[in-house]
Amino acid sequence: MPTELPYAADAEESLSFDELEVLRLQYQKELSQGHVTVQTKFNYAWGLVKSPMREHQAEGVRLLQEIYRAEPARRRECLYYLALGHYKMGNYEEARRFNALLLDKEPSNLQAQSLASLIDQRVTREGYIGMAIVGGVAALSTLALATIIRRASRK
Amino acid sequence: MTPRVFNAATVSGRPRASVGGASSSALDFATLGRAPMRLGFGSRRVTSRDLQIVEATEELLQQEVPEPEGVAQNVSLFKGFKATIPSADKSRIRRRQTRNVETPRLGLKQLGMSARGLLGDEEDHDGASVASEEDVVMVGRTDRNGRGRRVKAKRKGRQSLSASKTLGTDELVRQTHEIERDKENIHVRRALINNEIEEITHKIEALDAIRAKLEQDLLRLQEEELELDDELEGVRERLEMEEAASQPARSRSRPSNLPPSSRRRKGPAFLPSEHDELPPGVAFMSLESHTTPITALDFSEPYGTLVSASQEDSQPRVWDLLSGEEIGRLRGHRGTVKCIQVEDQICLTGSEDCTVRVWDLRRVDEDEEWEAGEMLSLSDVAEEDESTGEGERAKANGIKEGESSRPSSVAEREGACIRVLEGHTKAVTAMYFEDECLVTGASDKTMRQWDLNTGQCVMTMDILWAISHPPTSAPGAALPAHLFPGAAAAAGTFAVPTPPYADGTWELYQDFVGALQFWGYGLVSGSGDGAVRMWDMRTGQPHRTLLGHTGPVTCLQFDELHIVTGSLDKSIRIWDVRTGGIFETLKYDHAVTALQFDTRKIVAATGENGVKIYNRTSMQHSTLMTNGHTRPVERLRYMDRYMASGGRDSVVKIWAL
Repeated sequence: MPTELPYAADAEESLSFDELEVLRLQYQKELSQGHVTVQTKFNYAWGLVKSPMREHQAEGVRLLQEIYRAEPARRRECLYYLALGHYKMGNYEEARRFNALLLDKEPSNLQAQSLASLIDQRVTREGYIGMAIVGGVAALSTLALATIIRRASRK
Repeated sequence: MTPRVFNAATVSGRPRASVGGASSSALDFATLGRAPMRLGFGSRRVTSRDLQIVEATEELLQQEVPEPEGVAQNVSLFKGFKATIPSADKSRIRRRQTRNVETPRLGLKQLGMSARGLLGDEEDHDGASVASEEDVVMVGRTDRNGRGRRVKAKRKGRQSLSASKTLGTDELVRQTHEIERDKENIHVRRALINNEIEEITHKIEALDAIRAKLEQDLLRLQEEELELDDELEGVRERLEMEEAASQPARSRSRPSNLPPSSRRRKGPAFLPSEHDELPPGVAFMSLESHTTPITALDFSEPYGTLVSASQEDSQPRVWDLLSGEEIGRLRGHRGTVKCIQVEDQICLTGSEDCTVRVWDLRRVDEDEEWEAGEMLSLSDVAEEDESTGEGERAKANGIKEGESSRPSSVAEREGACIRVLEGHTKAVTAMYFEDECLVTGASDKTMRQWDLNTGQCVMTMDILWAISHPPTSAPGAALPAHLFPGAAAAAGTFAVPTPPYADGTWELYQDFVGALQFWGYGLVSGSGDGAVRMWDMRTGQPHRTLLGHTGPVTCLQFDELHIVTGSLDKSIRIWDVRTGGIFETLKYDHAVTALQFDTRKIVAATGENGVKIYNRTSMQHSTLMTNGHTRPVERLRYMDRYMASGGRDSVVKIWAL
């Protein structure tokens, strides 16, 4: 029974402000009534995660965590969404762990596999950039050092 | 050397430190490389939310991930999302728009608002095109637009609105697909809502269960409170007693040979500490020695001395409850012993030989030293049969016999029997004594009051007379009509067949006075005509008769508030002492032969093998059967958490309550 999940690309496109607003209102209305249905919470959380703003993403992940805690039946899907959320926020370590757990349960899930490779790509890319920075800093410092020594030796 | 170098050193040093801080297993290129990112470009404000999320991750990963089932399997969250977000409705709106027909301005909004009684803005009349004259809606407008009667677009009468529009096959096909998808969405949403409803129902049930449990807890608290009240009373009594004992005993109101009554003592009894280890509701000791159904039993205190009597056996047996051994027998009666009361060392028995005997239980112990079968002179035999008249001291034999006793080998001793009270002309079936006053009831339909110091009968109360001369103060009490048919036979010999016990046996019940109890000057008696009478012992007259039972009353007890009576009509009734009204009637399957109650429970022998307990606070019935009797229980008595019961299987069982 493969779980139906959206590809990570879907998370990159965000909802319009109005749509997100509608979801937020729905969520808060149910909150004030005392009982929030799982679907409403998820809708709002997913809308938040899709947004490009980091605060939204963090809030979305927090809501997803609540769903995870509260509904054991939904946990498997939530693993994926949590992984996706962390991926967007840049917490690649957590994303990887959630995704790994999901792949444990469902090795044949395409979306989970694609997410795993995406996470790896990002991580290595950041690694390259980091290394580049370190290299750049090292080069700059050597250059500065050389200048100082030359200056000192000249004088 | 230079700050730059330092910088470089520290920069390269820090990633290593942070890497060391991170998982040691991921010491790879990627993690190393990312660190500068974090330091440099990746610096953002770390909010509490981030920390919260990260902290929660660990815990969440530990939790179990079960297989999704039910709704979770059928409708994934994402599907639900697609079905319920606002844009899901887009296609419907779009379709509606495709069906919008271009019509000249109708001014419907104005109409709607005026229909609702609202003032609408003035429509833009200039923009309003003329309408066709056949347009019904436009009745109000025809005057204003009377000049232009010609419609621009439609010439030949009005066609239906849909005819002017062609949508095209592609569009229509697309619309069918969209509609189907919308219908699927509806299925999805329905499934979601049903699921939520189920969850809420479960939650409501769980909360209901919790509420029921809490209400039960409340009842239990009530019970405990009653128990504490009783305990308080008991402790106060003891306080008085010990205070009185500590003072020099100058004027003792009562002689030392008769102990205070244990029947009315409410507080907890003194029990050995091991008693707590006993599981409640279990018969942990059986006293087997009788061969016929038990007719009476009583004990002095828990783990004290118990005296029991059975049918066809004129010698009640004395048991030591600490060891469960038979200490001896009370010899002297010549007929079945029907009623027993034990208070500390004194035991009173009433028997079918019309006498009541007073025994000193300590003397039964002494006889243990004598060997059974030792023959002595039989000179004392003659005295045994000559105790006539009232109040004469008579010597009787209270000798311990061995397991196999032959009457001929019995030797006479100074016996345990202190006194014999004679006066009744038929079997003594019920009695109650307290301090020095004893009241007995017999099948000669009288009750006698005795003074135990002198052994004299002080008063005789005739029940037959009371039946035929009902007290006039009882309003509307038409006696004969209420009493069951057996009362007619009250004049003659009283004999009523009992309803069958649980094992099918039945007996002929002949005890006219089934039970009695008194306190101070008030005496309550239950008799074979089904009536419960309250007597004044100063005058010897009954001042109230409680009617209700339809069978002979077999057992009775009262306290300050209630009288509880059980009878052969298979019911137990709880009466109000002050008014005589009935509080409650408990129905059972067989005749009730014995009962005892306190503020919290009523313990009854109701013709079954198990002892019935009725909890008065929670109104629940329960039965004690573990290791219990194998034939119906007939008699019982309990003190605090210790109960003795005797049954038709000739066994006396001791229970921990």
